[in-house]
Formats: sequence, structure tokens, C-alpha cells
Amino acid sequence: MSKIALNINGTRKDVDVDDDMPLVWILRDVLAMTGTKFGCGVGVCGSCTVLENGKAVRSCQIPASEAKGRSFTTIEGLSRDASHPCQRAWLEEDVAQCGFCQPGMILTACSLLRDQPNPSDEAIDAVMSESVCRCGTYPRMRKAIKRAAALMQEKKS
Amino acid sequence: MITSRRTFLKTTALGGASLIIGFNGNRLFAANRPNEFKPNGWVRIDADGTVTLTIGKSEMGQGVRTALAMMLGDELGAEWSRIKLVQASPGPAPFDDLGTGGSGSMQEGWMMRPAAAAAREMLITAAAAQWKVAPNECKAEGGAVLHPASKRRLEFGKLVGEASKLPLPKNAPLKSPGDFKLIGQRTPKIDGRDIVSGAARYGIDAKISGMLYASVERPPWPGAKAEKMDEDKAHAVRGVKSIVQTESGVAVLAENTWAALKGRAALAVQWSAAPVDAFDSEAHAKNLEKAAREPGNRTRKEEAPAGTPPVARTIEAIYSYPFYAHAPLEVMNCIAHVEGDRCKMIVPTQAPNRVQKQVADLLKTTPDKVEVEVTLIGGGFGRRLAADYALEAAEISRAAKAPVQVLWSRPDDMKHGHFQAASAHYLAAGLDEKGAIVSWKHTKAGSFHNLSAIEPDEVRNEAWWGGWSWGVYDVPYAFPAIETAYVPVDLPVKHGPWRSVFAPSSVFARESFIDELAHERGADPIAFRLQLLQGPDTFKVGRETFDRRPLRRVLEVVREKSDWGKKVGERHGRGVACNIYDGRTHIAYVVDVYVNEDGHTKVERVVAAVDCGLVINPIGVEQQIEGGIIWGISSALGGQITFKNGSAQQSTYSDFAVARMKDAPAIEVHIVGNENARQPFGMGEPPVPPIVPAIVNAIFAATGKRIRKLPILPNDLA
Repeated sequence: MSKIALNINGTRKDVDVDDDMPLVWILRDVLAMTGTKFGCGVGVCGSCTVLENGKAVRSCQIPASEAKGRSFTTIEGLSRDASHPCQRAWLEEDVAQCGFCQPGMILTACSLLRDQPNPSDEAIDAVMSESVCRCGTYPRMRKAIKRAAALMQEKKS
Repeated sequence: MITSRRTFLKTTALGGASLIIGFNGNRLFAANRPNEFKPNGWVRIDADGTVTLTIGKSEMGQGVRTALAMMLGDELGAEWSRIKLVQASPGPAPFDDLGTGGSGSMQEGWMMRPAAAAAREMLITAAAAQWKVAPNECKAEGGAVLHPASKRRLEFGKLVGEASKLPLPKNAPLKSPGDFKLIGQRTPKIDGRDIVSGAARYGIDAKISGMLYASVERPPWPGAKAEKMDEDKAHAVRGVKSIVQTESGVAVLAENTWAALKGRAALAVQWSAAPVDAFDSEAHAKNLEKAAREPGNRTRKEEAPAGTPPVARTIEAIYSYPFYAHAPLEVMNCIAHVEGDRCKMIVPTQAPNRVQKQVADLLKTTPDKVEVEVTLIGGGFGRRLAADYALEAAEISRAAKAPVQVLWSRPDDMKHGHFQAASAHYLAAGLDEKGAIVSWKHTKAGSFHNLSAIEPDEVRNEAWWGGWSWGVYDVPYAFPAIETAYVPVDLPVKHGPWRSVFAPSSVFARESFIDELAHERGADPIAFRLQLLQGPDTFKVGRETFDRRPLRRVLEVVREKSDWGKKVGERHGRGVACNIYDGRTHIAYVVDVYVNEDGHTKVERVVAAVDCGLVINPIGVEQQIEGGIIWGISSALGGQITFKNGSAQQSTYSDFAVARMKDAPAIEVHIVGNENARQPFGMGEPPVPPIVPAIVNAIFAATGKRIRKLPILPNDLA
């Protein structure tokens, strides 16, 4: 166990946790930030996805000893008012059903769009197929990712 | 089908500041129950103009919160942005019959409109009195009462004081479809913004003061005994507070989830070995296939009319259906705080009153002492109709004398589900000399749900047996002779409703076998079905009436919209299937697949046509069709649950594979207008049953290989 500092959504957080406690539990149980969901604990569902420097990482696979000193963005930190292009696109395409996997899906899409601003269907399949939505929102997610890409390009120009 | 709209209304004035109306929506099936006052909702209008709807339906992604708000808000004349939703908690009264399942919420919600209509009439009467005009010159719209002739307008909030003093109007008129403002409009999900910003609160996200986190090491097979465990080692884990043994296993309670999980691992519980005759799903499948050939309990019998040609030959087949898990993304979880004979529960449940009743029984107290708060649900699919995960939380809290949150691990969730039960189907068609079908036989061998005990005094007549085999007895085709039956087979593992309950296996077998018969005949599978759907527009089985007309229409629509009949490429195939769900919702699919050389199937496109009665929210209908299709793709081409030595073998999404983005086809949804529709029907379940046979039939078209056993494995097709 040790006291570690990490940065969540731009704010320094000091926590006293076991070295092996995964980031998902630091966020949820210690910091009471429940937007990041627990789904499988073994990195196969994507529900616990957060961003590190814009890149999607699975918070159930990052123990405290490795999270130390790093900076992460959770769904709560993506925007103040659901105005991030991915959030907007998600709302405009009416993606969510139960919504439980959606924070992880949205952050995964953010990461995809950072690497590939105009992703092909194949690229969307490759990246998004790492995550699970049991309600079956995939067709709408695909549309939302394309819409978000367009919104981001609009913003730039 | 709903003949009476028995709605009981009651007004309450709270200091003159609010108008509150309680209402009751009787279930379609409850028509023979005595008149009880069982309101399952409230319409409340406050002086600030806020309209608060308290609803007893659990939201698990099916869009029920949005749809109910639309129905009630429309009838009231409310402003959409001023509607607030409150989730009902069960109580001895008025909320003593809450439950969400069977795709019944739309019908039940529809029967609640008189409450909103009564509130509207009272607001109008209050405004008319103030203006000294006739009430019928006024209307309610956008959260206000209007008098168009004098262009006067009064907000609801300004009227509630006077309105709440008025007598409750009898038979307040309901709006007709031409007057709908919200119903039928594409309406985004009421919780959408919360969801995309991470603010939506599911069961797993709840916390109460002083709460401990529990993880339970569960017996691997029912009846297993913990023979050895290392409690000292578990206690040595930092944060572990206590270890308690209950019916469901050994619970480790800790300051956080991670410590509970580590403590549980450190316990290293050794369980007694399973007996040699412990449950094995492979052996069970063989039993089912044998049982399906037994005469069984009759669910429908129609003799061939005189003059029907005799059977010249019979075609028969056995279809086999496996176990499936629900596998919602949000694992089972529950917060319980037992204090003496009282208990507070926070739980993502589809069955709040079942939770309340069973926890009260456990604690030997009365239901009113058990407070149940229902959260948003991260996927239900029928799994959360069971109260097992809530009961164990109450048991653990009582034993530990502390508030606890019990969180299941993913393997717990996958191995200890209330699974969709395996079943087998025997189908036989008798053909006359010319090859026309003159007799139809379908027997299902399956298992009763064991969520709760079957009452011993239930009358086991044809309808009762039919109730376990939707999709069998209600075969919509007009065969001269029909015989359907059900054979119950004991099943010692937990099982229960899954999305579409009993229909998926039956419709898989029936619609695949129909396809076999069409090919046998050399007939086009859509034309073949339409021909079998000739004859009377409606038919009855027992007390239920089924309408063939919407089913013909949805088949015609998918034929027209799908390029049916156009040639497809090598190893590509196109298949069709259709179904009437629970006598109400009519759906047809045309599916295009591609099967590669290795036997891997990709569903490329699905064209869907649906008649679900009056459409409340087109977005909701489309979402449920899409979701039902993806659900079906998971069960056709993904994982199954198998049992060895009494234990489920799968533990997570890698060994119980579900559909992912790459597996999602292009989906086209055609909502077939039904101008005669008088009420809406649910859409959570109906999209599931016909998708699997449509895939199977497309695979046959692509490869000439007939799948009679699920899930479909590449080896079957390579």
C-alpha cells in the first residue's frame, strides 16, 4: 500500500491505496467518480475505459503502482456540459439504450478519432469491437462516430 | 383486445399547491381479477408548473421512461421540458404490483392515460371558471390552459390550487390520434444527457453511509459445501472487515471492492466434489431430444376438416437449443441495510415488489418495513426479475450487522445466472400425395422457470401448458390439422425469463422447419409463408385471438424492400422469418449473410418490418429492433453456456462471446403503419424470436446446409 498522487480530469488526487488496486476501483470506490463503469475486470468489455493523453486505456488493467503520477480523463471530465463532439453526436444519433457501456464507448470513440479523424468502417470495426454493448447499439454508434468526425472537422475549419 | 379500461382515480391536495392523481393500469391478463385499487403511478402538477410523473416501470434500456412520459404528458397537454420523472418504490399501497417484463409496459401505460385526462379536465375547468367561459371552449397545450377565442392563457401551475378542489371528473375524454402532440414524434431519450456525461446512476453506482463492499465466493454446483478455507489469510488483506457464510456462499466484506475481491481470493475456499450425477448440459440435451418425441401435454389440437387428403409421407426434424446467459454489462448488485426488522434496499431490479416480499419473508417482517429504491438498470433482459441477488445482500447485511453493497464479479454473473433454459423441439409435417401440408406437429421439451415455485392449485389445462411454449401453440399458419404439445423436463440449475422468454427457441425451430418445407416443395420461402397465411384473417387458440393480416403485411413489406428474389453472390444467401409475438406484435425479417470458406458467417444486412400497433416513439421502436437483431446474432453465432459437474463453464465475454461492432449488420427498419391501431404494444422482446431462424435460413440459401442446433459453429459450415 502507498500514498499516490494522480491527476484526474485536470485535478490532482491523493489517495492511499494498495499498490495493486486497479484504477477503476480508485475512481469508483475511493474517489466516488462512478461515470467509469466496472464490467468484466479482465479487459475484455471496455466499460471501464478512460483516456490518457487522448488514448483509450482500460482502468481495470492499470494498478495503482502504475497509475501513480499519470493523468487520466474520465467521462465526467470530457466536457462540462455534454458538448464534446462525441457526446453531441451520441445524443443526435440517439445511440444509448441502457447506457451503461456508453461512457466507455464514447471515450473509445474519442481515442479512435484522435488517431484517425475520418475513420473507415473497417477502422471503426477494429477499434470498437474491443468493447461490448449488450443492448446492441452498434449501428447507431457507427453513425455517431461518423457524425462526431464531421463535427470535429467543422470545429477545426 | 382490451375491453375495459378500469382506471381508478383519486385526488389529493397538498396544501392546495399541487394537483395529484393516482392511477392504475390493469394488466391485460388481470381482467378476471377482482376490482382492486392498485395504482401504479401518480400524475402531480406543482404550483411552479413542474409535472412530476411517478412511474412504476424499471428503465433498462427499453426506453420506458421516455415512452411513458410521452403518453401521459401528451394526454395532459404538458410542456415536454417541464416533465420530471420519479421512480416508484414498492409499498403495501399504492405501489404493490410493480414489475417490468413481458413487453407489457406500453399497454399498461396506455391504460394510465385517463389519469392525465382527468387532471387536464380539472385544470381546464379551473381556468374556465376563472375566465367565466365554457370549459369546452378551452384546451390544454404546452403546459397551460388556453382560451383561443379570447387569446387568454394560464399556466398549469397557476391553476393547481383551484383544480385540486374540484371533484374528479368521470370519464374524462381521451385524445384521439389526430390531436397527439408528443405521441408518434421522434423523441430523444429522457436520460440521454445523463448517460453521455456519466451522470446516470445505476445500481452499481449507489452508495450509502458506512457501507461495506462484499464479494461472495459461491458454491460451484448447487449444494456444494465449503470444506476448507483460509480465513486468517483473508483477514490479513488490508481493508477486509469480516467474513460471513450465508445460503449463497462465503461473503468477504471490506472497505472497498478491491479488498473484498482480494480477501475472497485469499480465502481459497475448497468446495466439496460434485457427485458423479451432477448436472451436465450435454446429457441434458440428449434427454430433451428424447423427451420432445413423447406425446407430452397437449397445447392445441385441430383436426383436419373432412375431405382433407390423407398424409402420404411425413417430414420430421429435431431442433436443439442451448443455454444462454443474460450477460448484461452491469453485473448483479444490490445494497442492503438491515436494522432489526427493517431493511433499506437499493437495487437495479425489474421486480421491486418481489424483492420487497422475499426480503420481508427472509427477515420475518412485513413488506412495509422493507424500503426498496429502484435504480436505472444497466441491462435487464429478464435476469433482474429474479430476486436472488437482492435476497443475498439482505442476508449478508443481517449477518454482518452493517450496510453492504454486494457486487458480483463477471464470472459470478456468468456462472450463477437464471439462464435461458435449453430445449428441444420435435417437428413433423404430413404431406399429401401432391406434396401439400395437411398436418403439423410441434412438441417442445423444456423446463418451467424456477424463479418462484409453481402454485400447486394452478389448473394445468391446454392454455397453462401453452403458456410455457410461446411460438409453438400459436403457429400462425393455416394447416388443416395442427397438434402442439409441451413436455416438461426437470432442470436442477437456476433458469428463468430471458429476452423474449419462451419464444426464441420455439420460433427458431418453427421458422427454420417452415423453410425446410418450402425448399422441399421448391417454393419461394416468402410466397410459401404467404400461402400458408391464407384462410381466415383471424384464428383463435383457447381464448386468444391472432390476426394474420398484419403478419402478411410485414412479409410483403420485407419482400418489397429487400430485393428479395434478386440473385446474390457466391456463398451469400438471403433468408426470411416472421412471428406474432404474444398475439400482439408482428415482425418479419429478411437477412443477408455471407459464409466464408472457413465457415464463419457474417450477417451483412437485415431488413425489418414491424407492426406494433400505435407507435409512441419511433426512435424507441427502431432501437429495440436493432437491439433485438444484435441480441439474436449473439445467440446464433456467439457463445452458449454449458455445464459440467454441475457448474457453468463460461466466465466472461471471451468464452461467452456476444456480438460486437464488427458483427453488426446494416439494419433497415420499416414501421408498417396500422391505421386501425388503437393502442401501443411493447417492443423490448418481440424483435428477438424471428431473427435467428432468418439467419439460419439465409445460411441454408448460401451453403445448402441446414442448421438445427444452436449456436452455429464454423465447423457446421466449413
